[in-house]
Amino acid sequence: MQSHQNEKAIITVSNLHKKFGDFVAVTDVSFEVKKGEIFGILGPNGAGKTTTLEIIETLQKQTSGNVIVDGIDTLKHPWDVKRTIGVQLQSAGFYPELTLVDILQLFAALYDVEVSPMKLLEEVELQDKAKSYVNKLSGGQRQRFSIATTLVNTPKIIFLDEPTTGLDPQARIHLWDMIKKINQKGVTIVLTTHYLEEAEELCERVAIMDKGKIVALDSPEALIKKLLKTGFKKHIEVKQADLEDVFIQLTGRHLHEA
Amino acid sequence: MKRKPNQFRAFLAITYYAFKAQTRNKSTFFFGFLFPLVFISIFGLIGNANPKVTIGIPSSSNMQNQVIQNVKQSPAITTVVSDNQTLLSQIKQGKIDGLLNVTSNQGANTSYATTLTTSASNPQNAAVVQLLVKGIVDQSNVEISGITTPQISFTITKITGRQSRYIDFALPGMIGFSLLSTAIFGVVFGLIFLKKQLVIKRMFATPMLPLTFLFGQGMSRLIIAIFQTILILVVGVYVFHFYLPHGFETFMDLMILSVFGLVAFLGFGYFMAGLANDENSANPMINLVTLPQFLLSGTFFPTSSLPSWVQPIATNLPLSYFNEAVRKITTEGGSLHDTIPYLLGLSVWGILMYVLAAKTFKWE
Repeated sequence: MQSHQNEKAIITVSNLHKKFGDFVAVTDVSFEVKKGEIFGILGPNGAGKTTTLEIIETLQKQTSGNVIVDGIDTLKHPWDVKRTIGVQLQSAGFYPELTLVDILQLFAALYDVEVSPMKLLEEVELQDKAKSYVNKLSGGQRQRFSIATTLVNTPKIIFLDEPTTGLDPQARIHLWDMIKKINQKGVTIVLTTHYLEEAEELCERVAIMDKGKIVALDSPEALIKKLLKTGFKKHIEVKQADLEDVFIQLTGRHLHEA
Repeated sequence: MKRKPNQFRAFLAITYYAFKAQTRNKSTFFFGFLFPLVFISIFGLIGNANPKVTIGIPSSSNMQNQVIQNVKQSPAITTVVSDNQTLLSQIKQGKIDGLLNVTSNQGANTSYATTLTTSASNPQNAAVVQLLVKGIVDQSNVEISGITTPQISFTITKITGRQSRYIDFALPGMIGFSLLSTAIFGVVFGLIFLKKQLVIKRMFATPMLPLTFLFGQGMSRLIIAIFQTILILVVGVYVFHFYLPHGFETFMDLMILSVFGLVAFLGFGYFMAGLANDENSANPMINLVTLPQFLLSGTFFPTSSLPSWVQPIATNLPLSYFNEAVRKITTEGGSLHDTIPYLLGLSVWGILMYVLAAKTFKWE
């Protein structure tokens, strides 16, 4: 994986706090995302991952703290931020009565840009579903389509909130390939996940969140090394292969889902 | 760098695609088009039936009797022949309106005794039956007496005019019914679905203003509403001979009223869609707003037939204002100018609802 650690920060989050009434969702979160990297926010459900993401995306307002996206303050110029980023929400829906092409055209109008819906669908390998409806797609296809909508405005950064939750292993690997492909074109990617192997596979750096706080932030390798230095040893014998490997071998890593 | 995004293109796109989505939506089709059409078809058929009363004649009667003959020939009377017992129970049940017994009177100073039995179950029909039979008996007396030039003559002069039928009353109500349905059922369930499925939230991640979304959605409903009014009027005029006093001018006036009405009703839709979190909390609200209006606003029967204590409420409902305005144009052949008081009443409701909606709207 090419390193982006000498690149400039494209997102800077400083001392972010978010309260919902008495409930504290995010406490003093600060981090930077480097231009061109895949940055992961890892944590269990309710850790504050989605809230942090939505504040950066200008969908929620922070209680205090600052977020700068591509040099723009999210509180001062949310419209410019929205134009710069692509957003995939966890389990977001689309008009059920519109075809994939219709929805992409609608988004193009909302961003006030011109797009070729077929080209976008090709990028996520859904060109043969152009006239189909979102409800007729499989879970993996739906997530890929959702990613296609994030590309409408040729964003510098895309945000993916638990993109592979609920997908079968094949569909997950397919989506990972797609995310890597998009990243290789120079798009910075910020994603949240609670799958550890997803963070290890995709992310150059991960922030581990728990109870609204960042408890660690580094590359997956460095985090593992740090842990091993403390004398940590896994007690369970490491398997040479597991059931998932068997499944992938039998059904084909690069086979597309139906 | 431009700060505010171009909302006009976004507005047009939301209008167009929300319209496209609605044309593929089953509930738009049922509530907006099929229901009103079924209703006006039923009303159109009701309007064509002539009012008739039914008189029972016992099978033991002499069918050659002049009174019975005349009753049978009367165009306003339907006769049924059966045994006396059956007819008596039918009149109690209100299935027939009168029971006619004609017996010959041997030895008395009249030749026949005519007895009419009516029921208190339907006083209006009882009165009609009484008048009709009385007329026939008098007529028969004159005929039997051989009087050809009676002392008092009776002539009716009919002024030619349009026969007012139920469809002429019901069709304006149907326009109101379909517009209110579109503005409330369509908007509330439509927006709640889009809220719950995070469709709206996803669109908020784009440079689209919240109001652009609401205006676009509303505009798409308006286009649907215009099609509804056109469809109802076309079917009404061509199939059921609904009467437009000034032809195309009346048609255009009705289109303008429909746009005005829908915009006011949309306020109710937005208010409830913004307040409700899901379909379950929306349902009682929708019923509370629509059911009383469908019943009390002169949609199916005139508000004047309601008890006097209900009338002040009934006549001030938004749908009543709309229905009254439409009837000013159709039944009374008036102009838009005559509808201003009703449109003002409707505006008060509309503005109130938009203000409440703006204060309470929740996007999530």
